[in-house]
Amino acid sequence: MTRAERGILVLPGRGAYTAASLGSLDLAHPWTRRADELREAAGLPKLTELDGAARFDPTLHLQPVHASPLIWLASLLDAERAAADHRIAAVIGNSLGWYTALTAAGVLSFDDGFALVSELGRLQQEPLPDGGRGGQVIYPLTDASWQPDEALRATVSSAVAAPSGNGHGRAFASIELGGFTVLAGDDAGVERLLRHLAPVRVGERLYPLRLALHGPYHTPLVAHVAAAARELLAHLAWSQPQVTLIDGRGARWTPWSTDPAALRDYTLGDQVTTPYRFATSLRVALREEAPDRLVLTGPGNSLGGICGQALVAEGYHGIHGRADFDAVQATDPIVLSMRR
Amino acid sequence: MTFDRVPIVEAALDAALAALPAAPRPLRPEAPVRERSTLTAAAAVALFEDAVLSRALDVAARELKKTNRSFYTIGSAGHEINVVLGAQLRITDPAFLHYRSGALMMARARQLPGSTPAFDTLLGIVASSEDPIAQGRHKVWGSRALWVPPQTSTIASHLPKATGLAFSLARARRMGIAPELPADAIVLASFGDASANHATALAGINTARYAARLGLPCPILFVCEDNGTGISVPTPSGWIAETFGSLPHLRYVAAEGEVDEVWEAVATVIDEVRRLRTPAFLHLPTIRLWGHAGSDAEHTYRAAAEIAATEARDPLIRIARRLTELGAADPEDLRAIVRDTRERVGRAAEEAATRPRLATTAEVVAPMAPNHPERVEQRAVAGEEVDRHALFGGTLPEEASGPNARTLAGCLNAALTDEMARRPELLLFGEDVARKGGVYNVTNGLQRRFGAARVFDTLLDETSILGIAQGAAHLGLLPLPEIQYLAYLHNALDQLRGEAASLQFFSSGQFRNPMVVRVAGLAYQKGFGGHFHNDNSIGALRDIPGLVLAVPARGDDAARMLRGAVAMAIEDGRVVVFLEPIALYHEKDLHADGDGGWLTTYPAPPEALLPGEVGVHEPDASDLLIVSYANGLRLSLQAARRLREEHDIAARVLDLRWLNPLPTEALREHAASCGAVLVVDECRATGGGIADAVIADLVEHGGRTTGLRSVRAVDSFVPLGSSTSAVLVGTDQIVAAAVASVRSGAVTRA
Repeated sequence: MTRAERGILVLPGRGAYTAASLGSLDLAHPWTRRADELREAAGLPKLTELDGAARFDPTLHLQPVHASPLIWLASLLDAERAAADHRIAAVIGNSLGWYTALTAAGVLSFDDGFALVSELGRLQQEPLPDGGRGGQVIYPLTDASWQPDEALRATVSSAVAAPSGNGHGRAFASIELGGFTVLAGDDAGVERLLRHLAPVRVGERLYPLRLALHGPYHTPLVAHVAAAARELLAHLAWSQPQVTLIDGRGARWTPWSTDPAALRDYTLGDQVTTPYRFATSLRVALREEAPDRLVLTGPGNSLGGICGQALVAEGYHGIHGRADFDAVQATDPIVLSMRR
Repeated sequence: MTFDRVPIVEAALDAALAALPAAPRPLRPEAPVRERSTLTAAAAVALFEDAVLSRALDVAARELKKTNRSFYTIGSAGHEINVVLGAQLRITDPAFLHYRSGALMMARARQLPGSTPAFDTLLGIVASSEDPIAQGRHKVWGSRALWVPPQTSTIASHLPKATGLAFSLARARRMGIAPELPADAIVLASFGDASANHATALAGINTARYAARLGLPCPILFVCEDNGTGISVPTPSGWIAETFGSLPHLRYVAAEGEVDEVWEAVATVIDEVRRLRTPAFLHLPTIRLWGHAGSDAEHTYRAAAEIAATEARDPLIRIARRLTELGAADPEDLRAIVRDTRERVGRAAEEAATRPRLATTAEVVAPMAPNHPERVEQRAVAGEEVDRHALFGGTLPEEASGPNARTLAGCLNAALTDEMARRPELLLFGEDVARKGGVYNVTNGLQRRFGAARVFDTLLDETSILGIAQGAAHLGLLPLPEIQYLAYLHNALDQLRGEAASLQFFSSGQFRNPMVVRVAGLAYQKGFGGHFHNDNSIGALRDIPGLVLAVPARGDDAARMLRGAVAMAIEDGRVVVFLEPIALYHEKDLHADGDGGWLTTYPAPPEALLPGEVGVHEPDASDLLIVSYANGLRLSLQAARRLREEHDIAARVLDLRWLNPLPTEALREHAASCGAVLVVDECRATGGGIADAVIADLVEHGGRTTGLRSVRAVDSFVPLGSSTSAVLVGTDQIVAAAVASVRSGAVTRA
């Protein structure tokens, strides 16, 4: 990508850090050292320790209190490299990636960004007010060639709309990824979703798939998290972004007209308790920012396919199916993944 | 002088921004731009962003035109101060917009996260089928989610319906309809200074004032974006203020000055309309850059110096200067906004130009005339449970034995009563329909039964009657407006043609204004009334794409057709004109005085008739098929008896009932089994009626080339007294033509 091209920086969410991500962190980078200092001060394992572990331990690495700052830092380091190599017109993030985006765009200082992601990771690791944990379930919405599958969408609608309360639990839309949807609920709600969603195989994976150690983010079930975060994080200093941000509703926050207080209110309010429409943020980025490339930071490449599906859904640059996307990627890729 | 002024104005903007001094006292983003102002620094910069975005879209339209990839270049350049309205009105305030509303739309879309207003606009400019509102059928400002019904009008013909919607808001809420609009919603209608002179504009404004005078809520904000020119004709200086500045029952506000001053004036007037529920007129001075449209060579009618002087008043430069003066923005920020916006719009334009366009006829016309007969039939049957005995006070109309209940007027009155009772969303209004019960008593007793909220008299203006109908229908009400005489419809015809009938087409079915327009018309009133009460030209109605035209002749048909029309309007969103023959309203007899041959038994609901369903009299006769409707049907039945008795000709008589679309299938079928065909058309000969269309259809598609004749009214206005028979079709004429038709077999006209 040349400097004349417009890039959209895409920052991943909680599923990003996997066994393959071990060793992602640049140990010499001042941000890495600072993060370790802050982790130590909080009495938590250093991120370099987690990242440098001999093997990936899901029960450790996937805990929100560890995974969130780890992914945040790894993404942030990549984002810095991306900004050096590309001209970034706008930044989007998926769920946790939104917190990274706020730091990458300079809305929050490094320390404040760390505080935000750490505090939310901590709060989201605590039980729900009903004592349960709740969780998220991911399910596909497109067929093998990435065309919308109305039957799958209908299944999802009926699963979410099925009776709630009285032991049926509560279930909600949580994250819209475009080609996939993430649903969430309390414990009974998750059970219901798993029962209602017909099994579907996509590639190697069988869906519905419950996301390990994920809570019911972006739903009213975590309203208490938003309330606590507003109180505990009242001291953070919010600034205008240095680059346009597109949030989980598809709203654009430019460096020039952003009211930082409004950005804070969204981040610690609706962003936590209403669905994160990542597919919408991607669509807005494609249509309103007209990028040449989508630059995906690590860790991992969890959003590579999702971005491809967004290009197909939009018909962007004439890409109308998976085969078109694969052909473009093989010759002059639109989606530039920094990690695999 | 260079003809292409776009680069010159763009360069002037750059130069002005480059020369801006740094803000003397930078404000924090959340700080008000002035003490007590509701405009914050961040919001002020957002206004500039949206204004610049609008300008960039205008530039893109003209750039794409150079390579024939765009199809609309009427722009918003110079009008960008309307951004202030977009930022302050809510997206639940329905907006009927002027075509120079780019900045307003950009600001309005900002209120709905996930919107893509720039790309959506570009899709409209390149006429792509992906344009979310019109799918390439027209470049319009419109959005379902933003409550902006698309307007194609360049002549302010959207004002009557905007007023109609404002007038209907409170009524709809009371009736539990359109609950998505808050109780304090207001309506915006914007237009230019030149089109403010248009009769429809004045009608819309007048009706809003009339409502206010009556104490009826009509919360509408008229915005005149005054650029001082209508294409090449200058508006006299001061004309808008002189004309609208001191009208009773209309608050007039001029929003002049700097952007923050305009903001305050707009805030105040919006607040007043919202609180007081009365109309206001906002005069918003603007300029027009780059001529009327891309094709308009402004230098041919304006002096170079004048053009340059206008360009020097570029609102973007004025807003930029003010923002830096106030400390709301840093000059470098403003320059960055312009750079970034130009770049992203330029690239998005290239992407939009690759998007598909509607290709087939079926794709283009799909939303024009939705037609789901099965669903319509079900809809005709479905309705609220009604205690009809209580409704009619004991005797049901189908049990009535007196002649008055069994006439066309009597049956229509009962059918309207039944439909109003079965369908709480129905509104009935027009001149004299309520207290008087209609000139011909067709609506007698309806206001007493259903109350003044649902049955009411209007002012004497057909444009406004149809405007109220459209506005009410936008909200989900089903209006039954009455036009007192067919001849009165013509001064308001564009409300059907350009507006009501086109809404589904230009919004891809996302907005609808279903209605059944009852019109009393046609001739044969025994010489009374003259042309204006006997108008017999329906060509103007049959010519409107998608419009349904129903013309009953008998009482039982009228009741069933009315139910079909209402069901079609509800289910398919159709605009139906229901033309009622005045001369048959109270007719009782067919062949001789006192025979009662024109009386029918009222068919109880839910029996209904739909387009295509014709009436057939003497179905076994096959010497001749007489095709007719309305008064012509009665004359044809009289003629048929004489043909049988005097000429031994057995004539089958077909009542078309529906004149648009014509029931061609039934027509061809009956024509195929008869020896000859005679069309009896009581409307004017040349295109005023249906004779040409019926005969052409039988020749082209019915396999009939001989034995075709027609009798038609003379091409004349209808005179008074006995002279009427000199221009109208009579029984003798029908008989003569029928005899000739059966005996000759050539395609001729009597």
